[in-house]
Amino acid sequence: MARSSTARRIDELLPANEPKQRACGGGDPPAPPVRPNTPIASNAWLAVLIFLGAEAMFFAGLIGAYIVFRVGSPVWPPPFQPRLPIATTGVNTLILLASAVTVRLALKAVIAGNRKELILMLGVTAMLGSIFLAVQGFEWIRLIHFGLTVSSSVYGGLFYTLIGFHALHVFGALIWLLIVFALAKQGRFSKERHVGLQTCSMYWTFVVGLWPLLYGLVYLL
Amino acid sequence: MKLKILLGLSGAFALLVYLPPIANACAVCWAGDGGPTDKAFNWSVIFLMAAPYAVVGSIAVWLFCIHRRSAARRANNGVKQPLVHLDLNPEDSGR
Repeated sequence: MARSSTARRIDELLPANEPKQRACGGGDPPAPPVRPNTPIASNAWLAVLIFLGAEAMFFAGLIGAYIVFRVGSPVWPPPFQPRLPIATTGVNTLILLASAVTVRLALKAVIAGNRKELILMLGVTAMLGSIFLAVQGFEWIRLIHFGLTVSSSVYGGLFYTLIGFHALHVFGALIWLLIVFALAKQGRFSKERHVGLQTCSMYWTFVVGLWPLLYGLVYLL
Repeated sequence: MKLKILLGLSGAFALLVYLPPIANACAVCWAGDGGPTDKAFNWSVIFLMAAPYAVVGSIAVWLFCIHRRSAARRANNGVKQPLVHLDLNPEDSGR
């Protein structure tokens, strides 16, 4: 039924049951068809992108502080401080990188309309993230037993600040991912509407992409 | 009121007395002796100067890629039909 009170948008298709307007003739020739002016990205997507920019600058500040102490110290790590578990954390890095692949597959699954694979991939991503956090926590407990605490030295303080903030971000991303997982199980995402999953995937990819940089800086250099 | 003025003046005098004789223009000028701390601050400053460009540049590249992908998709789909039916139907026109 035709709406009389509101104007029709120019990119709106004419409903099939609506009668065609009678051609009156005369006047200017009809205008060429107008291409729909749809945005390339949603507002939520753009907001998360800006948020990630702010997060990147936050970590840049922490890394800047780390560089000052790391480059300024003649001996690093300082004497009588435990060495960081490079091999275990290396494997943990691979686990986290794998979770970036699975979250990408989840996004592809929702675009393909494959709900079963979407739930599976989100579940696998959450599991990999949980494993990463569990291994990190286990390693931290070991390091504390070996005497590396926040107040033991600048080394300990920097390690727990930098790696701790990243772990906090992974934890936050994991909670977000679990919410998205629950929504996906309820069938709230479709091929056309999945901005919640898309933004979560962006955030997850950010925290995963940040980790190799921190691992290289803190563990390897 | 007089007490407040007196306290303010005393505070200002105390500040003048306790101010160091030489003040560095830069907060970290004490590190500028060519040693490792100097080098550390240099690297940190270079990193922090580059970080905003890297962040904004990454966002710009990402947006550009998405725009190109979107434009390519639109070109592949093509404009299939006019959005408003403007074709002339002689029966409807009454001519």
